[in-house]
Amino acid sequence: MARYGMLIDTRRCVGCFACRLACQMKNTLGPKEGFVHFEHLETGAFPHVDAEVIPMQCMHCEDAPCQHVCPTGATHTTEDGVVLVEESKCIGCKYCMVACPYSVRMIEEKSGVVEKCRFCWDDELGGPNNPSCVATCIADARIFGDLDDPESDVSKAIAELGAQPIAGDLTKTKIFYVRG
Amino acid sequence: MVWGPLIAVYLFLAGAAAGAYLAESFISFKYPTDKKTRRWGRIIVPVLLGVGLLMLMIDAEAGFKNPLRFFGLVNNPASVMTIGVYIICMFMPISLVVAVLELFHKNVPRWLDIIGDIGAVCLAGYTGFLLGDSLGVPLWHNSILPALFLVSALTSGIAIVSLLGFLGDESEFEKMRALRPIHIVATILELILIALMLFIAVGKGAAGAASVEMILSGQYAVLFWLGLIGIGLVLPLALDVFTAGTANDHKAGALAVEASGHACVLVGGFLLRFIVVMAGVTMILF
Ligand code: SF4
Ligand code: SF4
Repeated sequence: MARYGMLIDTRRCVGCFACRLACQMKNTLGPKEGFVHFEHLETGAFPHVDAEVIPMQCMHCEDAPCQHVCPTGATHTTEDGVVLVEESKCIGCKYCMVACPYSVRMIEEKSGVVEKCRFCWDDELGGPNNPSCVATCIADARIFGDLDDPESDVSKAIAELGAQPIAGDLTKTKIFYVRG
Repeated sequence: MVWGPLIAVYLFLAGAAAGAYLAESFISFKYPTDKKTRRWGRIIVPVLLGVGLLMLMIDAEAGFKNPLRFFGLVNNPASVMTIGVYIICMFMPISLVVAVLELFHKNVPRWLDIIGDIGAVCLAGYTGFLLGDSLGVPLWHNSILPALFLVSALTSGIAIVSLLGFLGDESEFEKMRALRPIHIVATILELILIALMLFIAVGKGAAGAASVEMILSGQYAVLFWLGLIGIGLVLPLALDVFTAGTANDHKAGALAVEASGHACVLVGGFLLRFIVVMAGVTMILF
């Protein structure tokens, strides 16, 4: 049993959207659908300004608020801590979307089912299959792995770089950010 | 905005059904012999709730396309939506039985009516908890909404039952005025609870403040001030207080004024849900 998580380093991210595109391909999403979206931030006052791009996707919260409200049990958490939506159970009530504080869930246009990042979960494999956002990132801004294993790349990087959840203790997330 | 007008209509109809049940049950307790008016009031309850549930199903697209999935709604007792389904599964049959009994001029057993009353209070309150459990929408995420929606359900219910009183004869309609003191107190309470809800939302960060701005001075300001506060709450309150002295006025004009007051209450009941749902801004993190 693992506890999968990710590190995203916004100092490295150039905002090329390659991860969003790779994710769309892997999950056969429409051009306007995406599990990854970007927040563009400008800080400072002219001439000392800075720009930051923050890729956002499901944080795979522990005690996930979306799962708590989902009436059908379609939203569930695997033993490895990955939050998934079982399509054949989802009625599209969108309760999970108003419960998620990160606005990272979307309605699949053709089915009306609600979906989101699943860490490229593969049913046959019974686990995440090499998340395509990580594999495709041109800047090595993403690291994926087992948070419970102190020797994994992701655990070491989180410790070394002092990576933090995106919004403090809003929820207990499994994605950690390094920001400038 | 994830939830829209359909959800607002559902919240209104469910509340109105619950309120109408409570008002009708109060009237039939007080005046057990007045049957004519009561029948319509009893029958309209399951109709309102049924139409509301239809809205909810249409909004849940994936379920609407695969109706069998709706049976899964009972799966998660931790979800307020599931709890709501339990409440509806209890209240709907009771309201149907009561309606059929009235329709065939049978007496509704007291114990059944009381269980129905409990169900109605739960139904109206749950609509508030439903929104209240949404961590992602700060305007909704408070403990005021259940009380606010319950009180508003009561005023809408009284309005419906009073309007239906026109279908009965004059002597029965007048008895509906027994509901007036409840209506006055509930309306004042509603004004206070709305103020409290907005006050709490302002303290909840950027999204909460943005919601309040939309309501008080932005996109929904006209609907809020003119529609909800003016027409929906203050006007009927003024009419109630004003006509209280002329309790036994039989003139058609006076009755028409009273009836339009009740219609205004219904407009306000819907606008309250509509504005709260539509102004629900999702959490702003950056
Ligand atoms: S980020 Fe949102 S969708 Fe993902 S687990 Fe947390 S609450 Fe659920
Ligand atoms: S939309 Fe689907 S996953 Fe989300 S709460 Fe409703 S049933 Fe659950």
